[in-house]
Amino acid sequence: MTLTNTTRRTFLTSAAALGAAGFFPGGVGMLRAQEGQVLNLRLDGDNSILDPGYMVGGTEIEAQKQCLPFLAEYVRDGDTFSWQPTAYVTRLEYVDDTHIEFELAPGLVWSGGHGTLKASDVAYSYARMKDSEWSGYFDALETVEVTGELTGTLVLNKPFAPFIMVTLCHGPGAIVCEAATEAAGGRFTTEFPAVCGPYTYSATPGQRAVFEKNPEWTGPAPGFDRVVCHVITEVQAAELAYEAGEIDCTELGPDSLARYSNEMPEGTAITTAGQLQYMWMGMNTQHPKLQDIRVRQAIQHAVDVDSILAGAFAGTSAKSHGIVCPGLLGARSDHGYSYDPAKARELMAESGVTGLELTLRTLNWQERLLTAQIIQANLAAIGITVNILPMESGPFWEMGMEEAGDTWQDLELWIMRFATVPDPYEATQWFVGDQVGVWNWERWTSEEFDSLYDQGLSETDTAKREAIYVRMQEIMDETGAYVWINHEPETYAHSTDIEVVAAPSGELNYHRFKPV
Amino acid sequence: MIIYLMKRLGLAAIVVMAVLLLLFSMLHMIPGNPAILALGTRATPEAIAEYTARMHLDEPVLTQFVYFLGSALQGDLGQDVFSNRAVVDIIGERIGFSLALICTGMGWAVLLGVPLGCLAAVRPGSWVDRVTGVFSVGMIAVPSFLVSIWALLLFSLELRWLPAIGAGEPGDFADQLSHLVLPAFAIGLGWVGYLARMVRASMLEVMGEPYIRSARAFGLTPRRVVLGYALRVAILPTITLIGMGFGGLISSAVFAEIIFARPGVGKMIFDAVSDRNFPIVQGGVLVATGFYILVVLMSDLLIAWLDPRVRSSL
Repeated sequence: MTLTNTTRRTFLTSAAALGAAGFFPGGVGMLRAQEGQVLNLRLDGDNSILDPGYMVGGTEIEAQKQCLPFLAEYVRDGDTFSWQPTAYVTRLEYVDDTHIEFELAPGLVWSGGHGTLKASDVAYSYARMKDSEWSGYFDALETVEVTGELTGTLVLNKPFAPFIMVTLCHGPGAIVCEAATEAAGGRFTTEFPAVCGPYTYSATPGQRAVFEKNPEWTGPAPGFDRVVCHVITEVQAAELAYEAGEIDCTELGPDSLARYSNEMPEGTAITTAGQLQYMWMGMNTQHPKLQDIRVRQAIQHAVDVDSILAGAFAGTSAKSHGIVCPGLLGARSDHGYSYDPAKARELMAESGVTGLELTLRTLNWQERLLTAQIIQANLAAIGITVNILPMESGPFWEMGMEEAGDTWQDLELWIMRFATVPDPYEATQWFVGDQVGVWNWERWTSEEFDSLYDQGLSETDTAKREAIYVRMQEIMDETGAYVWINHEPETYAHSTDIEVVAAPSGELNYHRFKPV
Repeated sequence: MIIYLMKRLGLAAIVVMAVLLLLFSMLHMIPGNPAILALGTRATPEAIAEYTARMHLDEPVLTQFVYFLGSALQGDLGQDVFSNRAVVDIIGERIGFSLALICTGMGWAVLLGVPLGCLAAVRPGSWVDRVTGVFSVGMIAVPSFLVSIWALLLFSLELRWLPAIGAGEPGDFADQLSHLVLPAFAIGLGWVGYLARMVRASMLEVMGEPYIRSARAFGLTPRRVVLGYALRVAILPTITLIGMGFGGLISSAVFAEIIFARPGVGKMIFDAVSDRNFPIVQGGVLVATGFYILVVLMSDLLIAWLDPRVRSSL
């Protein structure tokens, strides 16, 4: 072997070839949506399980909404959300508190020669959901009575006010093709056994999911012929891709939202899907250091949430007053304590606790760490030393679960954020008595709270329901275990050439996007 | 040479076995029920039972390791926790992208770094040497993720010459190549500096050897002396460095794959760790380890083949 292959000439030739090949297609992928009616979007990861019964959630729900039938869909009404029947039904209505009748639109066909969409598909889909990993959404459903090829009745086992909003409009409400699903073995993962919707679906793992216009679809035509969803796991990378013109719409983080709001890039608009996330700092009421409610109340009074909103979230999120998010029934405009360092010091003095040192656990995300640092400074002002413990998502999300180890015993303070659906019941379910050691990491119980939870599920009078959820949040305030922080919005930056439609919880509904 | 090869393969097998043991232990060192950790708290009792049986979690640890080892040796690295797809298939879909990125990154670094090192050594103290020295140190000092972001901002956002994300359209070679340029540039830049410094140092040492003076005295052209005599010897430690450098590039590639949203084994492992998808983590780390062992082995064999002194000592 000789080394004369690595001559300067060889190097220059190779480098030039590589460079030319690289630069030749410059501008690839930099066309905005309306050209060729292709919409380029972001997917935050591969869709692993498209089956509504076993999905992880998130973008899998986005895929289901393009390819599978739903009986109802969200519709925005100012700052609040309600529902409307989808194009798959000609009728969907409550006939009494426990019966919802539906009639499917005629002539909608499943792909792969699996025939038309029938009421029996609805019955099959929802029966299998009751045995699935998402069965909680169908606890209130007794059965689906098929009354004709296209008609049926959803029979509830008790009045359940949010059934349509929470279950039918959301991912678990997807209807699958009975024949195709059974032929696939009763479950499916990365491919739909049959589709009946505006788009067909295909995916290249790790790269993209592609939605092509479904030639068999006879319902309302989608706004774009093709939707290409590029797998971009990091939101910052997606923002750069948007700014490079390679995708037409992306979720924005708080910093970018503030930057865009201050100086909107040309041709860009912002759409807010909803504010269905609630963040708080939790306290373990059973921990020896925090068992005295005066210490917990002192912490409530010591934390300056306005500074957190300004310093960690650039003023882009709404101040929280409880677990019920803005725009939902029971959302409050105030809560049971206020920022009052003098009162906090007074409570600490009353408790007789001195030299208190606490550990604050948080996900190692930028905003959370900034939040933790502000809390650390606030609590230092009343004599509490806070050590911040940044964590990866894996151990963080199981630290309060008794079945995942013993960490729950050491939990003191933590910053937590949950996402919810457009009804207050969902957020309250995580704090009932039997959730202690599961998701109720604050570890308190209240018979009144549990009783109100049950009442809230079945109460159909709006005013009474609102009062129930307000009272439940008051009970949470009274435990002293919560410092309410904020409700982060789900915001999207997008080209002004498109109209973006997103569910309140942030899932994009591509087939309702329109070129402007 | 055959005995040497056998020894090295035996050593590689021991390393692979140790990695397998480490990967297997990983699942058992984490507190809590591995099935719940993998499937999440929403999993039904049936799903947990099915996973427990499938992963042999209800059997003694030693038995589990034997199953794991047996399956791994047969090329079965298990199934993705979520999609139930074979881990081997998932890795197969991504490994080509990682290999393309790592090889291109190291390739251009070799093509630029080695000549730069030669030029600097041939004219020590000249402006070429000084400029090369400054730039080499600069290139080494800047982390690849910073280069990635800088390159993305300049070439994709500002100039719009090159695409920012993805790996290009399947089947469109030119498009795929254009998507490779920036990430390969980013992960290779530091290695240009390393290689230039290494080749320069080796060359300076070799250029002072008596046989080089003899070659010059015989009237050989400077080009022939440098390329035919000096570089042939000076390149040997660089080959070792390149072999080991592939290990570093595997980790650099993770950042590049995340920043440029490219598919690849590094990003796959990163995502799987976040999702606690242990079969994917195990499979990905095993493949990355195997690749590294293979490259180091190849570099050692190459040196043995190029250098008669090494060959004769085997």
